[in-house]
Amino acid sequence: MSDFSTMIPEAPKVLRITLVLPVVTMAVCALLIALPWYSSFATQRLLVEGFTVFAIAMAWNLLAGYGGLVVVGHQMFVGVGAYALFASSNWLGLNPWLCLPIAALVSALFSLISSVPMFRLSGAHFAVGTWVLAEMLHILTLNTTWLGAGAGMPLDALGGFDRWTRNAGVYWAALAAGLGALAIARTILRGRLGLALMSVRDDEPAALASGVSVRIAKLSLWVISGTLTGLAGAVSYMNTLQVTPDATFSLNWTAIAIFTSVLGGIGTLEGPLVGTLLYFLLREVFADYGAWYLIGLGMLAIATMVVAPGGAWSLITRRWPIDLFRVRRDMPKL
Amino acid sequence: MQIAIETLVGGLMLGALYALFGLGLSLSLGVMRMINIAHGDLIVLGAYLCSVIMQLLGVGPFLSLILVVPLMFVIGMLLQSLLLNRVVGGGTLSPLLLTFGLSIVLQNVLQETFSADTRSLQAGDLALRGFHLGGVSIGLLPLLSTVVSVVIFAGTNWLINGSHLGRQARAVADDPATARLVGVDDRNFFALITGFILAVIAIAAVLYGIRTPFAPSSGPERLLYSFEAVVLGGLGNIWGTFIGGVIIGVAQLFGAKVSSGLGPFFGHLVFLATLLARPDGLFRRTQR
Repeated sequence: MSDFSTMIPEAPKVLRITLVLPVVTMAVCALLIALPWYSSFATQRLLVEGFTVFAIAMAWNLLAGYGGLVVVGHQMFVGVGAYALFASSNWLGLNPWLCLPIAALVSALFSLISSVPMFRLSGAHFAVGTWVLAEMLHILTLNTTWLGAGAGMPLDALGGFDRWTRNAGVYWAALAAGLGALAIARTILRGRLGLALMSVRDDEPAALASGVSVRIAKLSLWVISGTLTGLAGAVSYMNTLQVTPDATFSLNWTAIAIFTSVLGGIGTLEGPLVGTLLYFLLREVFADYGAWYLIGLGMLAIATMVVAPGGAWSLITRRWPIDLFRVRRDMPKL
Repeated sequence: MQIAIETLVGGLMLGALYALFGLGLSLSLGVMRMINIAHGDLIVLGAYLCSVIMQLLGVGPFLSLILVVPLMFVIGMLLQSLLLNRVVGGGTLSPLLLTFGLSIVLQNVLQETFSADTRSLQAGDLALRGFHLGGVSIGLLPLLSTVVSVVIFAGTNWLINGSHLGRQARAVADDPATARLVGVDDRNFFALITGFILAVIAIAAVLYGIRTPFAPSSGPERLLYSFEAVVLGGLGNIWGTFIGGVIIGVAQLFGAKVSSGLGPFFGHLVFLATLLARPDGLFRRTQR
C-alpha cells in the first residue's frame, strides 16, 4: 500500500519537467552558440576538447552499451576521420570546414568496409580484433610517405583565417558534433533501431526469433558510431592543427572514451555526459600530477566497475527515477 | 634461399616466444571466459621484477627466476581473488573494462617507478652466441626460448588434458554452475590458474627481456601478439596457441624483410586474413 502512496505524487513532477526542459534546452543552446563573443580562446579550446571527447565517448557508449560491441580500437575512427580531413583539405586546397563532410563520408565508408572482417568476430575476440585493425592503420600511416609518415601533416588551409574566425569556427564545429552526437543517440534510442538494439542486448536469440535483423541493426550502429567518431576526431585535430600517427591512432582515445563512459554509466545517454564532466573536472584539478593522475583515473575506473558498474548516473537514478532525454519506453496504456 | 630459410627459422623461434606469451591468455580465455587486457603489462612487470632482483642480489636473469616465479604466482593469486573474481562470469564487458583500467594503472606505476627509458636484462654473451647448422646461423638464446616454450606447452597440455586439476579446469570452463555442484570451488580455482598464468609470464618475461629492450609502454604490443596467437590457434586448444604464435612470428619476420617497419603489420595482416577464412581459428576443438 505504501508503494502506491509514494508513486502518486510523481505525476505532476514529470509534467513540470517536460514543460521546463525545452525552455532550458533552448536557453543552454543559445548560450553555447554565442560563446565565442563572450569568452577567451582558452575556454573555447577546452570546450572543443570537451565536445569532441563527449561525441567520441557517446559513439563508443552506443556500441558497447546498446550494441554489445565492445571496441578497444576505437581510435581507428578518430584517425581515419582526422587524416581524411587533413589530406582532402591539403590536396584539394579546400576550406577545412567544407572538408568535414568528406571526413564523415570517408569514415562511413571505412566503417562499412571494416565491418566485413570485424563482424566475423564476437565478444572479447571482436574487442581486441578492432585493436589489431587500429594498430594496422597506425603502422600503415607511419610508413606512408604521402601521408607525412611519422611526422604527420599540418592543416595548411587554416593558416589563411584570422585567429578569432579560426577559433570560433572550430568551436562551432565541435559544438555541432557534441550536440549532434546527443541528438543522433537520442533519435536512435527512441526509434526502431533502438528497440531492435535493446532487444538484441537483452536476449539475442529471442530477438532473432521475433524477427529482429541483428546483423543490420549492429551494422547500422557500427557505421553511425564510426562516422560520428571520425567527424569528432577531425574537428578535434582542427584544434591541434597537426595529425601524427602516434597521437591520432593512440589507444588514449579509447581509454578516454572508456573512462568517461564507465565513470558516467555505460548504456545510458546521461552516462557519457556526466562522465565527460567528471573527466574534465578531474583533469583540470589533478593533471599536474602526471603519471599519478593517470594511476588515480585507472583506479577510479576499476573501483567503479567493482562497486557501481552502472557508473555515477546509476547512483542518481537509484534514488530519483530521472530520464533526462526521455528514451525510456513504457508499456502502452490499456 | 639461404635468407629465406634463416628468416623462417628465426620466425619459428620468435613465434615460440609469442606462443609462450599467449599461453596464459589462452588459459584465461578458455577456462575463465575472460580476457585480460593487462596481460602484456604483466609480462613487462615480470621483466622489471627480474631486473630489480638481478640488481639487488647481483644474480643473472635465469637465477632471478627462483624468486620472480613464486612472486608472480602470489601476485596472480591475489589479483584474481581480490579483484578479478568480482567481475568474472558476468559477460565480456566487465572483466575487459576492469583489466583495461588495470593496464593503465600498471603502465603508469612502472613509468613512475622505473622512468620511461628502455632497459634490458643482461645475460652475459648468451644473447650473442650462436652456431651454424647446414649454413644457417642459429642464435643460442632463441633456441633456448623455443625449447623452454615447448617444454612449458607440453607440461601445460598434460596438466589440462591428463591431470585431475585439468579435469576441474575443463569442468569449470564447460559449466561453472555444475562444476560448483560437484565440489569444484571455481573462485579459488581461478586464483590458482591466474597464479599459474603469472608464473608462466615470469619465465616468458625473462626470455623476452634478454632478447628485446623493454619499456613501461611495451605491454599492449605483447598483448596483441599473445591474443593473435590464441585466436589463430583456436580457443581451448593448447597446441593451437603454440602454432598460432609460430605463424605470427614467421609472418612478422618475413614482413620485416619486405620493409623493415612493416614486420608487425604483416603479423596483423596474416591474423585478419586467416580469421576471414576461419573465424574460429585454425584448430578449434569441435563442440560436442
